[in-house]
Amino acid sequence: MSAIISIKNLSKSYGSKKAVDGLNLEIQRGEFYGFLGPNGAGKTTTIRMITGILLGDEGEIAIDGGPIHDKKHVAKLLGVVPESRGFYEWMTAIEYLYFFADLYNVPKKNQERLVTALLSEVDLLKRKNSTIGTYSRGMKQRLGLARALINDPKVLILDEPTLGLDPQGQLMMQQLLKKLSAAGVTIFLSSHLLDEVSRLCSRIGILHQGHLIAEGTVEELKQKTNMKDLTEVFLHLTSE
Amino acid sequence: MFTHIWKKEIRGELYTWKSLLWLLISSLLFSVTCYLLLTNKELSLLDQTELLWLLGKVIIGVALLIVIVDASSIITIEFEKETAESLFISPVSLTDFILGKLLAVLTLWLAIFVVSIPYIIVASAGSNLAIPFLLYTMLLGTLGVLGFTLLVFAISLFFRSSKNTLTTSLIILLGLSIPAVFSTTLKNDVVSQIISRANPVDNIFSSLDNILVDYQTSLIQNWQFIVPLVAFCLLALIILLFAMRRFQKHGVIQSE
Repeated sequence: MSAIISIKNLSKSYGSKKAVDGLNLEIQRGEFYGFLGPNGAGKTTTIRMITGILLGDEGEIAIDGGPIHDKKHVAKLLGVVPESRGFYEWMTAIEYLYFFADLYNVPKKNQERLVTALLSEVDLLKRKNSTIGTYSRGMKQRLGLARALINDPKVLILDEPTLGLDPQGQLMMQQLLKKLSAAGVTIFLSSHLLDEVSRLCSRIGILHQGHLIAEGTVEELKQKTNMKDLTEVFLHLTSE
Repeated sequence: MFTHIWKKEIRGELYTWKSLLWLLISSLLFSVTCYLLLTNKELSLLDQTELLWLLGKVIIGVALLIVIVDASSIITIEFEKETAESLFISPVSLTDFILGKLLAVLTLWLAIFVVSIPYIIVASAGSNLAIPFLLYTMLLGTLGVLGFTLLVFAISLFFRSSKNTLTTSLIILLGLSIPAVFSTTLKNDVVSQIISRANPVDNIFSSLDNILVDYQTSLIQNWQFIVPLVAFCLLALIILLFAMRRFQKHGVIQSE
């Protein structure tokens, strides 16, 4: 396997506070990578630097071998469900996806089929003509996922996609992610739900105070720390 | 790419009750102005050309005010409603984003101009000034709107907050409009004349005066007003390019 996301010595400070400090990370093609860390560990900052909307102070990021400042290259490869959940509330779901399909240069002749398939995938087909302002939080998160998939990305980056969802919503999102992973999409998932990460991810990285303090499979992390489950591993590593 | 942003703005910002209300307010203001000019005892004693000049000032003044209010939020709303992140993750460049938004603001100006056409035609009846009045309102208004919009966009990229952008932009408009309104009394010395020549609002009003009151209707006869307006647009563009560079250096999201 070759790295599809490669991060070398990445740092970012906000004033005197180092949000990310010398981060080195490699995500392999087809991998389902869980990115864990307590609040303020630097997860969202890292994700924003990977997606190119926040500039790092130092270090390099390459997506499939190309630099992140090559916007077209990055936009073609990445699908992102960002932390900020802003939507054009006055648009209907179908208008919203058509708008992004246009931005991603999806050919007009394919747009109807693609948008319908995505809405069906995230179970929003029945509400496709409702304005987004009338959607529940869970529906918006699902629509966000559909938008992230509009360019058929090789890499899907998700920042807390199940945050605030009810158990049914979480389950639905997890099943979708499993399906995408099985289809060969590389997934980079930042989450606070350790059980979710434990069940879904093939490899996990734990970020603490801007440093990657541990990395490996759940079993490897348990062995390294002599802990019973991922929750214990996480608490043990981040309490220091 | 920018046409998609433009279409989105037309649908979401202009084709709404807010914009329709603005057009209705513009229409009401033009109606009240025309009514007062024709019926008020003192105002109706003015020469028709003076009436046209006053109407021209109201049309462009109202348009500048509405356009500045609209432009102050059209960019910043993407940051305040947290839609900027998804937008800039897509292949949209900052230039596409700015161009799309600029086209949307110019479309609003065009709509206001279209609303003003009947008033211009009726007020100009019998004066042979209807065509020059229309053409110069279009030209001077477009240059004014373009310059101010570029400036407001630069301020938007700097503050990323509609409240701060609107306040700053209105202060600038007010600061330029007050000397323009009192131009005759403030043009008595060299310094005031230089300031007046550099003031875009003053140049718009002076050019309208030149065309409608003094019948100097050719472009050559108005170059001394149009050139400073073009220079104002170029200066605003340079400031915007600087703001865009700064924005790209800082990133779409500034902090957590």
